[in-house]
Amino acid sequence: MKRVLGYLAWGAVAVAAAVCLAGIAIQRGEPINSIWLVVAAVSMYALGFRFYGKFIAARVMALDDERATPAERLRDGIDFEPTNKWIVLGHHFAAIAGPGPLVGPVLAAQFGYLPGTLWIIIGAVLGGAVQDFVILFASIRRNGKSLGQMAREEIGKIGGFTALVTVLLIMVILLAVVGLVVVNALKGSPWGTFTIAATMPIAVFMGLYLRYWRPGKVLECSIIGFVLVMAGIFLGQSVSQSPSLAPLFTFSGVTLAGAIVVYGFLASALPVWLLLAPRDYLSTFVKLGVLLLLAVAILFVRPQLQLPALTRFVDGNGPIFAGKIFPFCFVTIACGAISGFHSLISSGTTPKIIAREWHAWPVGYGSMLLESFVAIMAIIAASVMQPGVFFAVNSPAGVVGATPAAAAATITAWGFPVTPAEMQTLARSVGEQTLFYRTGGAPSLALGMAHIFARGGGQALVGFWYHFAIMFEALFILTIMDAGTRVGRFMLQDLLGHVWAPLGRTGWMPGVIGFSAAIVAAWGYFLYQGVRDPLGGINSLWPLFGIANQLLAAIALCVATTILIKMHGARYLWITAIPLGWLLLVTYTAAWEKVFSALPALGFLAQADKLETALRMGAMAAAKASETRALIFNARLDAALCCIFLVLVTTIVADSVRVWIAILRGTREAQVREAPFVLSHLRVEEL
Amino acid sequence: MKRLGALGRLLAGLLRELADENAYRRHLERHGCPHSAGAWRSFSESRLRAKYSRAKCC
Repeated sequence: MKRVLGYLAWGAVAVAAAVCLAGIAIQRGEPINSIWLVVAAVSMYALGFRFYGKFIAARVMALDDERATPAERLRDGIDFEPTNKWIVLGHHFAAIAGPGPLVGPVLAAQFGYLPGTLWIIIGAVLGGAVQDFVILFASIRRNGKSLGQMAREEIGKIGGFTALVTVLLIMVILLAVVGLVVVNALKGSPWGTFTIAATMPIAVFMGLYLRYWRPGKVLECSIIGFVLVMAGIFLGQSVSQSPSLAPLFTFSGVTLAGAIVVYGFLASALPVWLLLAPRDYLSTFVKLGVLLLLAVAILFVRPQLQLPALTRFVDGNGPIFAGKIFPFCFVTIACGAISGFHSLISSGTTPKIIAREWHAWPVGYGSMLLESFVAIMAIIAASVMQPGVFFAVNSPAGVVGATPAAAAATITAWGFPVTPAEMQTLARSVGEQTLFYRTGGAPSLALGMAHIFARGGGQALVGFWYHFAIMFEALFILTIMDAGTRVGRFMLQDLLGHVWAPLGRTGWMPGVIGFSAAIVAAWGYFLYQGVRDPLGGINSLWPLFGIANQLLAAIALCVATTILIKMHGARYLWITAIPLGWLLLVTYTAAWEKVFSALPALGFLAQADKLETALRMGAMAAAKASETRALIFNARLDAALCCIFLVLVTTIVADSVRVWIAILRGTREAQVREAPFVLSHLRVEEL
Repeated sequence: MKRLGALGRLLAGLLRELADENAYRRHLERHGCPHSAGAWRSFSESRLRAKYSRAKCC
């Protein structure tokens, strides 16, 4: 009887998934309720988790709770410690959920809500969750080894080295692009700039509090920090309304970019306990709290989606970034569907605290589904705005026109009516001077979130909610920038330490300063390039970041496929080979189009050629000549970087295929490099 | 009510884990030393060094 009820319940979930997916796919012309997206996503996740995830866990990986995990065998009370599975899940989710699943879906909403929604759901169930789960399993069976170490051992030295260089380059692009998101959210915004600036002394206060006044009281300190940040948001409103204070916090994009570069250098060279760690604690709690709040608010408010299912920009002429749905929707939304960066987390802290092998199923597969749901919430938040407003906020001046009137006329001519007066009223309601040309996703996400929160908590607070959302995004983006610069420095030192040993010493002060400066200069250059780009910067940097992130996922899936072939021969290789094949198709096509497309808005080389021709024909004003030369150089640099990514990944894929063929033909031993079986003695009460 | 209590304990456990407070308690137990400013600093320094030598996710 119980079995029959189970079949009926899962049958009902499958029907709900099918009906809701069909509903959102077929619906045209009228706004639909966001609950359709929520039910479609949750039903698909439930089915994927229960059936596909469990199949991989039981049949493919043969997870075994009798087998002691590294947390038990290597228990040291610090890194290796068996931990309750729900706590590990929360820990892992907090580690993988960054700005990616929030920003990418908002940018991809230029195609309409449908393509992004389908990719987020299907990509996560069949690709992203599989990648995270298999890499987590592989790392658990290998004493918590990192992706780079596994690539070196399972594929070869070339694989390990390539993975390291790829991660370093991705880090540079990631830091530049998230920096650009912050700059575009804060330019000309004294309220936002004051709030974010206030988080820095607050973090330093927290650092001192934790180190000298109340050592070890991290939660207590974070609550104080949160109260101070909230006070900062309220105070920011007064600052923005003060004729004497507002100009002190009103900056152009270039000035903000310079400030972020200086800040990045100082933050990465300062002791971590002073600024980075306290703000990281705070941003983690705020992030989890806000995501929970947003989920509850969406369920409570159930807003209507104003954006159409598909927009005219499926043809590739989108104002936010150029390119058609295939392949650009799939590189714009990386985190939320499949993200290579997750493989670094799945082979980082998490495998060292998993108490039982079967816990990897909810932690590895389940956490990715939660992150995918965060991306669905971002799509919903972006889609609750009127389409005209969405495009007015996200389109760069170089595409829609340099004045509000011109921008509104262009966007209205696309079929998305909007007026300068409407935008002015909206800007005033959130305490901003203007909301035009805020490319980058953060402001439109904040507007959507503010709209949803305000409907649940009073329209009078819409300005507060907007700046609360901006603070929430900027807080963990800046933490990523500090930490990323530091990690980038370690990676660079690790690479160059092979050339000359002293360069590899992470505590050597000239090295700390020199390598921090090198990493900051690298991402700072791309950030400056993005800020100066007349097409908004996101058009070139976000696809570059998406391509790089998906190529890192391809590396992780190469490692995963190699391990599956060693375990089972060709029998289950489709599980990772299908998402790998899809990612290679998507990223190679996107990279090819970004480099070689004849359309100047899309292809880097065509853009450089167009500018060079204009320069040669004398069509540029003399004052703009040097700026144009810089743009030409930047376009060629982006093209070169794209090619480097392709070469690196082609190298690792070719190396992997060589190993797979050799194993399948029997000319190479399929040596599974797992740690030996040790019987678990963990008691239930220890978990 | 019992389940609500269990959920509350789980949530508090998660927050303490994210705040490194659980790891610090384990560190003290393992080394058999009482809580002090020095013990926290020594734990925190090694913990943070390891934490920020790994990439943070995008």
